Amino acid sequence: MIRRAFMLAPALIVVIGLFGGGLLDSLLQSLGLNPALGATTPTFQAYHDLLWGPQHRETIWTGLALSLWISIASTVISTVIAIGLALAIRAQTTGSAVWTFWFQFNLPIPHLIAAIGTLFVLAQSGLLARIAMNFGWITTPADFPLWVRDPHGIGIITAYVWKEVPFIGLIVLAALRSLSGRYEQAAQTLGANRWQRFRWILLPLIAPSVGSAALIVFAFTFGAYEIPALLGVRYPRALPVTALRFFLDADLNARAEAMALSLMITAVLLVVVFFYLRLRS
Amino acid sequence: MRFWWLLLLLLATFSVDAQTEEAPQPLPAPPGFESWQAVLDQARGTTIYWYVWGGSEAINAFIDTFYGEPLLEEYGITLERVPVVDTVDVVNLILSEQSADIIDTGGVVDLIWINGENFATLKQADMLYQDWAETIPNSVLVNWEDPAIAYDFGVPVEGDESPWSSAQLHFIYDSARMSEDQLPSNYDELTVWIEQNPGRFTYIAPGPGAFQGTRFVKQVLYHVSGGYEQWVGPWNPTLYAEWAPRLWDYLNVWETNLWRGGETYPATENELLQLFANGEVDFALTQATSGAETYISQGLIPETSRAFTLTEYAIGDYNYVAIPRNATNKAAALIVANLLLRPDRQAGHILPESGFGLGYAISLDRVNEEDRALLEASLAQLGETAADPAALAAAFAPDLAPESQSVIEQDWEANVLR
Amino acid sequence: MKYFRWIALTLMIIALILPLITFLLKAFARGWFFPQIIPRTWSLAAWERLFSPQSDLLPALLNSGIIALTVTGVALAIGFPAARVLGIGHFPGKRWILLVLLAPALVPPLAVSMGLSTQFLRLGLSGTWIGVSIAHLIPVLPYVILTLSGLFARYDLRYEEQARSLGAGSWAIFRRITLPMLWPGVIAAGLFAFLISWSQYLLTFLIGGGRVITLPILLFASTSGGDNAVIAALSLVMIAPALLVLIFASRSLEQGTIR
Repeated sequence: MIRRAFMLAPALIVVIGLFGGGLLDSLLQSLGLNPALGATTPTFQAYHDLLWGPQHRETIWTGLALSLWISIASTVISTVIAIGLALAIRAQTTGSAVWTFWFQFNLPIPHLIAAIGTLFVLAQSGLLARIAMNFGWITTPADFPLWVRDPHGIGIITAYVWKEVPFIGLIVLAALRSLSGRYEQAAQTLGANRWQRFRWILLPLIAPSVGSAALIVFAFTFGAYEIPALLGVRYPRALPVTALRFFLDADLNARAEAMALSLMITAVLLVVVFFYLRLRS
Repeated sequence: MRFWWLLLLLLATFSVDAQTEEAPQPLPAPPGFESWQAVLDQARGTTIYWYVWGGSEAINAFIDTFYGEPLLEEYGITLERVPVVDTVDVVNLILSEQSADIIDTGGVVDLIWINGENFATLKQADMLYQDWAETIPNSVLVNWEDPAIAYDFGVPVEGDESPWSSAQLHFIYDSARMSEDQLPSNYDELTVWIEQNPGRFTYIAPGPGAFQGTRFVKQVLYHVSGGYEQWVGPWNPTLYAEWAPRLWDYLNVWETNLWRGGETYPATENELLQLFANGEVDFALTQATSGAETYISQGLIPETSRAFTLTEYAIGDYNYVAIPRNATNKAAALIVANLLLRPDRQAGHILPESGFGLGYAISLDRVNEEDRALLEASLAQLGETAADPAALAAAFAPDLAPESQSVIEQDWEANVLR
Repeated sequence: MKYFRWIALTLMIIALILPLITFLLKAFARGWFFPQIIPRTWSLAAWERLFSPQSDLLPALLNSGIIALTVTGVALAIGFPAARVLGIGHFPGKRWILLVLLAPALVPPLAVSMGLSTQFLRLGLSGTWIGVSIAHLIPVLPYVILTLSGLFARYDLRYEEQARSLGAGSWAIFRRITLPMLWPGVIAAGLFAFLISWSQYLLTFLIGGGRVITLPILLFASTSGGDNAVIAALSLVMIAPALLVLIFASRSLEQGTIR
């Protein structure tokens, strides 16, 4: 027992001390508490101003809608593509290792780079637009559809999908490979077609892995800063970008709002995680 | 060519300057130091952390060689340039230090490139090293009686920051796409041009990190309200409330014919520059005295690009360096500020090759003959890619008081963007 | 169906390498304007600037490397024993401990790092590479523990018991049995740790206060400058070690992702 505690202690100290401590400090500051400056009465002013105050209300609610849209769309699209590609790679009888290598190719590429790459390829003067122009499909950059720095977050979602498909896909692939083929063969002899086999045999078996992976992607895309900061527009603006902007505001009073907003982002995530766990059990 | 700099000179010297004839009085030592020699002695062998906007590799390299080398060779100071995305981040950092009780020394920032709102914030928070700018030796070359220098966005400088260079907002166009006589010459002609060329014009969204956009909107405000004279001085909310609706109307009339139908705007100066470079829009904005050449030499825009200005309301100002109150190495910071004003450095920074290309902070009639020749020679080199300095001088307008900055940014977002 | 599969896989590869091709083109182009597909003028200017003695690139590479290696080492040292307990042992409260240790993977770094930056400022850790390294442990540790505890769950303790019965000491068992058996997984966990730290922007920015310049900080700053050649060249520099690591270790990484 003591040995166990001793082995767990360093990790717990780091996580509780740094992560918990940081979170706690954010919470205190969001409530306007700063013992160093003598502020000791908690207030929900920052939360109230964000949600109902005339200055921020619109930014926050549209931001929430946009952030939810980005995370849901990124998660759903990446999951579907990832399952499809994982199945395709599993079905490849030759060169499986090569395909798997390509599949995990962009895993180590940072999100920041994914954002820049998306910009270079999809912008109205980007690579695809240039190709379209040379084929005579468009005559000016403005003819090319608006796919990055657009108000609907298309560019942001594209970058996330590009980045997250391999992440989910590799987990799915691992789950698929750990299955024995017997259930599928049994179903096949019973006359189940390809879709039925997938829907009723494979999907239930890989669902737990897919679910965890999708949850991680959802949480990440909802709270991450880099991609919406580089590929977003001024309005509507994803919540993490707004939070950091408040934090960096020269007016230090905006700090409480920054902390409050980042905790609200966390709260939304906790609700989602809670429902996911309920759903699974 | 000579004629040009004469006019530029007129711009730089608002008020008549009678000080030059008198024997220079000995300068007081910077606060906290015995003498300038004490500053030099204390700084030797140290490292200075200078926080500078780091978005341009060209400017970064320029700073490291053009200032870093003489600092090391002549003063024994190692320059550590700290690149920042937006100066407001540094302001924030210093204020965080203040709230963590790092007040008089021990701060990480020794020197910041700063002006306007950021300066106002730090000054208000009492986090600036004070009364030093007129004590460094080369400060005698600065015309402190010029209100454009003595007031930074209307805030009195009072020796709390020292000028580095000057800038004035104007336009860039591509001479391969249109000829000079097709250019709009004032805001009403610009309105017509926008209407006739839908989707080909936009400006930078006013907001944090994009003061050029805010500045452009202020220029339109000057136009709409019939001149800048009434705006000079402290911030006048009543006057603003009176004119703001017409300003938003004016901008909203443009909107449907702007790039992307005004649904969104480029967020930074460089985003606009790239739209221009790729032919998405026909005008870019610049602050550089050296005009288009600064960007051409970096391969950022086509070689046929040229700078020009409208005949009215091209807002110009000076930019400065400030030393935080809690700076650890104030001595070295003073030396850098002094070096920035040295005539040979000034003559170099204006040139487009520097990647910097901003105007002079020192006054041509305060330097000796030799330095004057040097400064004139640099001006003469600017060439055809720069806007006509005489036209720039004639269009000069000062900036609004700093309170206007966030008001205009927020109101623009509420009334134009949404 | 077979054709469909080939089309899907080909599209995947195109989507994967298209951005990289633009990075390569842009990094060596000069004045590559719309609508040219291939740059007309080639130039090494961006590289010369990046590798000039004044450039921030080399110090940033050094910072990124030192921080990522430190974080990897510390995270493995801390995570390994914890993962062993969590992977092998069964005890009350295990679920909760696991939840606590994995929470940083779900909670956005934003919420934590803002509070942390104030604390680190008071402790004198902000603006130092040590402070940044400590902060990086937060997002790194959950992945290390997750990967390693998965390995321990399938780890056969009997080898250790046998060695012990033959008189081997704890250190010898660790050195000769545990580590070699888990080596591929440890490598995978280490790679995860390295890459997460290597690509971290927000924590470095908020804790480093602009004073600890790593590659992501440099890259983010350069995006505001608009010099695409430099942005692309920096991006390539930042991807290069990550891709090398992947190629050399793709086999152990593959094993590591099987949870």
